[in-house]
Amino acid sequence: MSGLTIPEFLALASALLALSIFGVLTRRNFILLLIAIEIGMNAAILNFIYFAAFPLCAGHSALSGQAIAVVTIGFAATEVAVGLAIVLALNRLKGTTNVAESTELKL
Amino acid sequence: MSPEELAFLALAAIAFITGLSALLVRELVHTILWIGIFFVDLSAIYFLLSAPFLGVLQLGVYAGAVTILLLFGIMVTRKRIFSREAATGIGAVPTLLSVVAFVFLLIAVTSLSSTTPTFTTYDVSALSTYLFGAGGPWVLLLSLVMLAALAGAIYLVREGRE
Amino acid sequence: MVDFVALLSTFLPEVVIAAAALLVFLLDVLGVRRTEVTAGVSAAASLLALLFVVADLGIAPFSAVATLPSGLLDSSPASASTSLYAFTSLGLVFQMIFLSATFLVSLASASRPSAEPGAPTFFGLLLLASVGMLFVAVAADLIFLLLAIEITSVSTYLLVAYRRRDRRTIEAAMKFYIIGALSTVLSFFGASLLFGAFGTTNLYAIALAPATPSAALVLVGYAFLLAGLAFKVTVVPFHAWAVDVYDGAPDDVSAFLAGGTKKIGLFAFFLVFLGPVLLARWATSFSPFGLGPFNAHPVFQLVLGALAVLTMTFGNLLALWQKEIKRMLAYSSISQAGYMLIGIAIGTSPAIAGATLQIFAHVLMKTGAFLVVGAVAALGIGPLVDDWRGLGQERPYLGVAFALMLLGLAGIPLTVGFVSKFVLFSAAIQAEGYFVWLAVAGVLNSAASVFYYARVLKAMFFERSDRPAAPSNAGRLGANGLGYGRAAAIAIIAVVVVLLGIYPGPLLSVMQSAAQHFVLLGP
Repeated sequence: MSGLTIPEFLALASALLALSIFGVLTRRNFILLLIAIEIGMNAAILNFIYFAAFPLCAGHSALSGQAIAVVTIGFAATEVAVGLAIVLALNRLKGTTNVAESTELKL
Repeated sequence: MSPEELAFLALAAIAFITGLSALLVRELVHTILWIGIFFVDLSAIYFLLSAPFLGVLQLGVYAGAVTILLLFGIMVTRKRIFSREAATGIGAVPTLLSVVAFVFLLIAVTSLSSTTPTFTTYDVSALSTYLFGAGGPWVLLLSLVMLAALAGAIYLVREGRE
Repeated sequence: MVDFVALLSTFLPEVVIAAAALLVFLLDVLGVRRTEVTAGVSAAASLLALLFVVADLGIAPFSAVATLPSGLLDSSPASASTSLYAFTSLGLVFQMIFLSATFLVSLASASRPSAEPGAPTFFGLLLLASVGMLFVAVAADLIFLLLAIEITSVSTYLLVAYRRRDRRTIEAAMKFYIIGALSTVLSFFGASLLFGAFGTTNLYAIALAPATPSAALVLVGYAFLLAGLAFKVTVVPFHAWAVDVYDGAPDDVSAFLAGGTKKIGLFAFFLVFLGPVLLARWATSFSPFGLGPFNAHPVFQLVLGALAVLTMTFGNLLALWQKEIKRMLAYSSISQAGYMLIGIAIGTSPAIAGATLQIFAHVLMKTGAFLVVGAVAALGIGPLVDDWRGLGQERPYLGVAFALMLLGLAGIPLTVGFVSKFVLFSAAIQAEGYFVWLAVAGVLNSAASVFYYARVLKAMFFERSDRPAAPSNAGRLGANGLGYGRAAAIAIIAVVVVLLGIYPGPLLSVMQSAAQHFVLLGP
């Protein structure tokens, strides 16, 4: 595991975050928005695990990075569940999961 | 190039391509397939970083629960599961914004290239001790998030008189 | 082995509120679903927790029941750097502010229909959101902070949607959820970069850390964190969701969102960007992006100051054009966030005290204004400014209370809004440099905001109603159709707005000493 250095690794997380921002801003289906958000959360989790494996600073136990990753995975899954509850409520009222179609509030 | 590095580069490429495909394909069920591969792929990266517990968690929670939950969401909200979405434009401004964010991050990240951190591995038992010792308050707060989600989501989707 | 009794007494306000939330859900299961009962539990619990918080602050008649173990309040940064939570006086003052919002909204919501479906869920989620807010105020760790914010966020997404058969509320919940989740992603990503740069997520440990291997990572991490939190505070250009959500949400929920939960983002700004962390670290020069050494602190202040001016001006300009009262209040809420950011940009202890008072004043006035909107809607009167013509003559008490809140928001003397702006702007002038321009921008904006508040007041008091006749539902609820709870909440707010406008001394001195302690926490 010696060959990997930080840039190539954080580049993946950065690319995933950019993908997530792109998805949230352009997709119109609520399920796709949920997926875009999950990709972003995974980028953050990846960073936490990576910095736990390759700590830049001595003096702190980087084990907390893995603990944070555990908590964040749990939290992100909870967030999906809440999002799906809103999708189901929306779908029951309007028969669509498309964000643009279901807009009545004026912008 | 070490084998680990090659493995990582392959996994990273798969992660990006599956993530992008998940967002761009027009059939929602295919999206779920792509995102499933994406989650499994990330789990492999966690194993590569010698975080096996996180890898298993990723498989169980993301590749398992979240994928099924999303699939379930599609099944419940569509009359014909394999119907296609209308094509959505990509949009110049959002694309530009995400590219700018990526470049910004990349510049910051490449400034680190001089550092050579040492690879550290942890025992799973140390992780569990940490989670229920020093990191206990995080778990407590997470439980409150889940309580709120549970109470509210059940109420929201329950068929009730009204 | 953890000493649970000690832990319970340390976190007594949080425990009281969480227990009340569980009690409300339990009563729901047992079949006790009347709005009055659950609202009573909610109001009583928030009042009790408020008492404990005030006692912990050491305010004279109440300090006898203080439960916080001695030595925990305002302890040294070194001792806070190993824990996930730390008690600061400023945090307790904010807990006081948050609990007042919960209490007022609970009290007012008691007047909703007695058999309304979803009432237990509403109050349970309201209490859980309050628990999250209380935890935000004691955070000493980034992840602790973000998770506490998420307790509130998840509760409020569902709170907005609690009227589950109403298209507008579900749609508002959907928008709120998407924006909230995106901001969560940005904050967590920023936190992960900061964790990488410092090897820890403790805010105090970050402040005490020696030089970091990567200044660029720190800057980018803070930038993402700033963007994520800016969504919660509705800083322009991250504000667009707020108006739709406040407009579409049920009135009492809007009151809680604009008056209560928005303020957790501001306290997070205080924690992340002030006292403990940045003032010291960023004043020492470092060189990100290979640009050569430079002092990041003034740059950061400039960015925040510019955001503050942009936010208040933009909010005010758009508020001028609104025809609906609720949307006007939402835009005014955005512009008020700009005033509060001034205090964060300056970061001296008088400025923090001024911003804290401004936040408290805004909680009172905005909560009150949205509660009045809810009351008027319940009377069957439309949402437009034109629909409110002659309301002040028909219902003088309601009219006068609303007038007091609007005058307070505009910063007219003899209201708490004037005192808070006075303290804040004079702190900006004291800080000298270009901060004087922040004060000038603030004063100009306050003057501009008088226009749209005055338009509503003119319609209410000096124009004739063209409504056919006053709706005759006065017999349905007590207190002239408003319901006793709502009338009481509005009356309390109106009285406190004037009382603090005339005699702000004691509260202001508590906030000033808390702000001084907070600034001293920095290394």
